[in-house]
Amino acid sequence: MFDKLKIFLRDIFRNRAMLLMVLPGALWFLLFSYLPMAGTIISFKQYRYSKDGFFASIIDSKWVGLDNFKFLFSTSDAYIITRNTVLYNAAFIILGLILAVAMAIILVELTNRRLSKFFQTAMFMPYFLSWVIVGYFVFSFLSFDKGLINKTFEWMGMERINWYSEPSKWPFILVLVNLWKLVGYNSVVYLAAIMGIDRSLYEAAMIDGAGKWKQITNITIPLLVPVISIMTLLAVGKIFYADFGLFYQVPRDSGLLYSMTNVIDTYVFRGLKINGEIGMSTAAGLYQSFVGFLLVLLSNYIVRRKNKDNALF
Amino acid sequence: MRQNKSWMMLLAVLLSFSLLLGACSTNGGAKETGAPAESGTGGGNAGKDETVELSWYTIGTPQKDVNRVMEEVSKYTAEKIGVTIKMTQIDWGDYTQKMQIATSSGTPMDMMFTASWAFDYVQNARKGAFYEIDDLLKEQGKGIVETLDPAFLEGSKVDGHNYGIPAKKELPALEVWRFNKTLLDKYSLSMDGIYTLESIEPLLKTIKENEPDITPFAITKDYMPVLPYDYLISNLPMVVSLDKGDYKVVNVLETPELKAALDTMHSYYKKGYISPEAATTNGLDDTQKSGKWFLDRAATTPFADNLWSSSYGYPVVSTPASESMIFNWSVMGSMQAISANSEHPEKAMEFLNLLNTDPVLRNMIDSGIENVHYKKTADNAMENLDDSKNYDMPTFSLGNVTLTYLNPGDPENKWDEYKVFNEAGKVAPTLGFNFDTTSVTTELASIQNVKGEFWSALMTGTVDPNEYLPKAIEKFKAAGLEKVIAEAQAQLDAWKAANPK
Repeated sequence: MFDKLKIFLRDIFRNRAMLLMVLPGALWFLLFSYLPMAGTIISFKQYRYSKDGFFASIIDSKWVGLDNFKFLFSTSDAYIITRNTVLYNAAFIILGLILAVAMAIILVELTNRRLSKFFQTAMFMPYFLSWVIVGYFVFSFLSFDKGLINKTFEWMGMERINWYSEPSKWPFILVLVNLWKLVGYNSVVYLAAIMGIDRSLYEAAMIDGAGKWKQITNITIPLLVPVISIMTLLAVGKIFYADFGLFYQVPRDSGLLYSMTNVIDTYVFRGLKINGEIGMSTAAGLYQSFVGFLLVLLSNYIVRRKNKDNALF
Repeated sequence: MRQNKSWMMLLAVLLSFSLLLGACSTNGGAKETGAPAESGTGGGNAGKDETVELSWYTIGTPQKDVNRVMEEVSKYTAEKIGVTIKMTQIDWGDYTQKMQIATSSGTPMDMMFTASWAFDYVQNARKGAFYEIDDLLKEQGKGIVETLDPAFLEGSKVDGHNYGIPAKKELPALEVWRFNKTLLDKYSLSMDGIYTLESIEPLLKTIKENEPDITPFAITKDYMPVLPYDYLISNLPMVVSLDKGDYKVVNVLETPELKAALDTMHSYYKKGYISPEAATTNGLDDTQKSGKWFLDRAATTPFADNLWSSSYGYPVVSTPASESMIFNWSVMGSMQAISANSEHPEKAMEFLNLLNTDPVLRNMIDSGIENVHYKKTADNAMENLDDSKNYDMPTFSLGNVTLTYLNPGDPENKWDEYKVFNEAGKVAPTLGFNFDTTSVTTELASIQNVKGEFWSALMTGTVDPNEYLPKAIEKFKAAGLEKVIAEAQAQLDAWKAANPK
């Protein structure tokens, strides 16, 4: 018993530098991810303030069971918001993956280092813009009377389009905008993974007479599969979370577009911004993460059956 | 050397954590320092008690000199009523959200700003954020009751109780048509006979034909026609007629008045009087700055034309577009409430009483320190000094405005005009009734979404009401509007039985 403790302490001491590095992250998760989990109990309560502080408020509030979840399902929009959220996210995951990997490979293969760095930085930049700003960028293209696209249409003698009242165009616009913003950032992960691939593999392939294309399909991509599957598994866990900024700011909250732009997050925001029921918004969050959790378990199970090493756990 | 380095690192990590923990616990710490002096806080002997610190949350862009001014204020209030003031300002856009978090997490505070449009007064009163002040008003708040028009306190009752003190300011809501006077003069147009939505058409037509760059009728996505109905919840379709006196809750979309207004708006839209992007326009700041508009609609106060003209830099004139009406929301335009978790509610009420009755305190809070931020030019008039930019407060949000000194250019009879303005207001039939939405929150969440889908497009005339109005009505029904209306009707009937007019 005492020996075990001694070994344990010695292990800690030996790895002190590593553990110290992990400590801030671990504490962050403990404080902001694990501790607040207890708060999900609010989603089953009608939250009312108590003068004795936060915990008293939680305890004193009335237990309402699953009432807080009803608003997500009893609405006529339930189908639309679920469909939009899942399909858009699926499109983002699949197209984002293909584009990010392709970009990473192209950047690596560019022989001009300086040019490659330039492209990388240029693609990275949009990630740091807030959606509000991106929304105005898009507006400068799509504005009815001053937008770049309508001006071009006019110049070519075509009819102007009122983009913000034509829902059918928005699936393309939203996917395009989202990819433009995120591909550069996501490709960095793959870029790093490619950099980590042993150069001698390529040299050997070259000696065997493999061209660029063969090298990519036979070396780069197979070696990227573990990273790709981990990144995709993580993304699947968030499939019920829509990017609020993208779906709210970019379409300028235009009501006529709701059939194509209303997602779970915007629905919850619009529905609760007036009455501010904390219980109901907590319920929405719990529902999203619960479904996401199940989906991660499921997809991890599928990946593990195919190849154990590529699974998350 | 190496060891030194790792020690430094450990020290840095420890330091950052102690800072983090410190930041988490400051709130708890502040609670202790304001040593409780809860016993015997009647009116007279207050000055002799130990002074207590009151924390006060107000809306507005945080000002550099707040703490400096509050120090001066505290000197004055410590002597008068034995309190010192700590003011925390939260910016306009953040106020609702930050206060919601602060109150729901139980942050200790004593007084806060609330209104119908920011940190919603009725909702938060029901959720238990505010201290019920019925008794305090009879004791420490006597001065407030005397100075306020009774409609203020009557209209701000929630389920029969008062939770906040409305600022004495303009009481009714009066909508006006505002004109860009330069254009009005250029085409020698006249405001005579302008009142209804239809009456503005000939003017819009003139502008449209002669000034292609000007938006004849500037509106945002929040535009709504003036209708003889009172909204039970602002911008949701449950309404009660203002002039029929039938106390019947109906869906505004099904009223003939709205249909007529929407038809007119749609025809204006088609004729190009309204911007094609009105349904997604959030604000008109740019249009107003550049002066590229001819007509819009706004809520007015006495002498508002002067204010608008001086802030835009060109003359603006206006003429009424609605009756002057006292609504719940107009009464609740600016209020101060005492926090439910306040340790010194009596002291807070004493302070609010002084704020609403004492010109010295009220002007100090509003304009800062005399001869630093402003100088007095007469008994009841002042002029801002250069430093006033470090202490520029939103006057209306800080209590009784009629105590504030006149600014240069203000007419001598400013506050008399306010009195006239307030007395001209007709009382809406539902004044004092607040719909309790607890039993229909699920339906309201979907109704809000349906509203977002159709409201702006319909109200701005962007879509054809013949096609979209029936669609909207049907979708509202599917979202459960009928249940909400039935619930509202039941509550309204009960309220009417309890408050016979």
